[in-house]
Amino acid sequence: MIIPLQQHDGAVCDSLVSVGDIVSVGQLIGDGEFRIHSSVSGEVTAVSELPHPTGKDVLSVVIKTHNGEKREIEPVELSAGKIRRIIRDAGIIEPNGHPTLRTKEDIDTIVVNGTNTWDLSSYEALMLDHPSEVIYGLKALMETVGATKAFIVIELGSEALHVMRTETIPDNNIKVIATQGYYPPGTENTLSKKFAKKKVPRGSTPEDRGVLVSSIAAMKAIYDALCDGEPMIKKVVTVAGAVGSPRDVLVDIGTPIGYMIKECGGCSGTPVKLIVNGAISGAAQYSDEVPVIKTTTGLLVQTESDIEREPQAPCINCAWCVDECPIGLMPHLLYGYADSAQFDKCAELHIGDCVECGRCAYVCPSKLPIVQIIKYGKHGVAVMEESE
Amino acid sequence: MWGTVAALIPITVAAIYLFGLPALTIVLATVTTAVVTEIVIYKAASQPITISDGNAVLIGLLLALIMPPSVPIWVPIIGAAFAIAIPKYIFGGTGTLVFHPALIGFAFLLAAWPTLMGTGSTPNLGSFSDLLIETGAGRLVEASPALVLLGGAFVLYKRYVDRRVALSATILLLLLMPIVGMGSQLPYVLTGGYFLGLIFLAADPVTSPVTKKGRLIYGTMLVLLILIQLHFDTYFAGMCFAVLLMNVFSPFIDKNTIPKPIGGK
Repeated sequence: MIIPLQQHDGAVCDSLVSVGDIVSVGQLIGDGEFRIHSSVSGEVTAVSELPHPTGKDVLSVVIKTHNGEKREIEPVELSAGKIRRIIRDAGIIEPNGHPTLRTKEDIDTIVVNGTNTWDLSSYEALMLDHPSEVIYGLKALMETVGATKAFIVIELGSEALHVMRTETIPDNNIKVIATQGYYPPGTENTLSKKFAKKKVPRGSTPEDRGVLVSSIAAMKAIYDALCDGEPMIKKVVTVAGAVGSPRDVLVDIGTPIGYMIKECGGCSGTPVKLIVNGAISGAAQYSDEVPVIKTTTGLLVQTESDIEREPQAPCINCAWCVDECPIGLMPHLLYGYADSAQFDKCAELHIGDCVECGRCAYVCPSKLPIVQIIKYGKHGVAVMEESE
Repeated sequence: MWGTVAALIPITVAAIYLFGLPALTIVLATVTTAVVTEIVIYKAASQPITISDGNAVLIGLLLALIMPPSVPIWVPIIGAAFAIAIPKYIFGGTGTLVFHPALIGFAFLLAAWPTLMGTGSTPNLGSFSDLLIETGAGRLVEASPALVLLGGAFVLYKRYVDRRVALSATILLLLLMPIVGMGSQLPYVLTGGYFLGLIFLAADPVTSPVTKKGRLIYGTMLVLLILIQLHFDTYFAGMCFAVLLMNVFSPFIDKNTIPKPIGGK
């Protein structure tokens, strides 16, 4: 088991354990800006920098599991005031890397994202298997933050739609909304504007406007934390593509992705690409030793025949990316400026607003790696602003 | 860009059918010259040769189509070499062009040998059959307006050219002409040359703006320029210069129509 000590958008946590320590399920092993718990019982064999799904090396705790030992997790006694602390202590993180509860603003609406993309179906699986737990988590969250309304957004044609509608019949303040399949599905500001009818100006979060955008996965995690006293140590992950039996699996956080592939029947054919978190905007991995972390939602295995490699050509100003951008940016200009290191121009064109959904790169007839270069540009802008 | 080339094949065949051997030699000569020039220049500059993207073939074919069939063969050969060397290579190659190379090649030839570039007749839409085969065609492309539109529909459907520019310009031009009292000139506009200019040349992605609003502005301004030149004459060349003039404005339009991202102030 490899548990990285950075599982959200923020600083790496401090390790609370050292080599030789015996840890048990649910034990706190990392603290700091956020909390990270062990998902297994066993002995810590290393605390060192190891590959992370984002592509860099991050301080991680390696645990050799013991068989049979399982710490009894004691259910926590519920009290409304305590819930907020419990949610924080359980280390619940949204798939986009933000903590579910990040501010103490007054919230009146909660939007829960339950939409999937074609290769990620973990939300649907959760809703089908644990509908009442999801609703329980949502109600607890509503009570904690004082929200009066909640929307669950599910795409048209999903089986979960009916299940969730049935589940929410007794509640007047929870609405299940069916929406057209849309990519990218989980962008906070877009969801807030579309369903809570609150526009989010640049530089502020939906919470500033009284909207909390969350996800199905977080709802289930809240239920686990409140009813079983279990911190966020498990995750439903979709394993898709060239594997024996593609499916949604419940895995302990820290499980190497190679092990997950083996459990799903192994690779059919020689794997060439392992992509974490979606075919369009996910990141291909250097190694199958990379662990599942709190933000992992899916794994796509591709063989050589799945991949079309085409040479890159110059940008021809066709403007397909401009038409495609859900935010209204100029991807080809950002690409050009970032590629030639003109970061001041990137900042002028609001490179920071890019949500890295990858639609521009998907339609690009010149096959330019727009998203990667924009990420580089964002980094360049950050460095530039720091030095000023 | 091979898709755009394919879209121009039907009209090329029609031109060869109508004009015979001269049309065939012009097409072969310009395309070959364009390709050879590109290979020579890019090799001399030790840059990767990009013939396989179809751009040189497309420039050669477009230039051939706007030639009169009576032109001596060396004229389009010089034009094709010029189109690749100056407006394409000097301006940085595919993607960074300011002016459409085929139009620059045409403008250069027209300025250098105006008498040789003259056409034998001026097409106008007399009867319905003129839409299919225009016997009064003065240039290769004017052989059949219907086939140009067919290719145009294909590239618009595939988005090889910009829909907003092509459609806004074509529709606006046809709507505005009767309104401003130029209805009598409509038969001269409903010809292959104009459709080629509006769909394939003006809406070329490299030289037209990229912002959504900017593309509509571009199409509108283009129509105004065309109307001004139509006031004085009905020559095809006027439309080519209108497109070239608009190419100059394209970066300027882009710069002033950058959209406001979601949440922006």
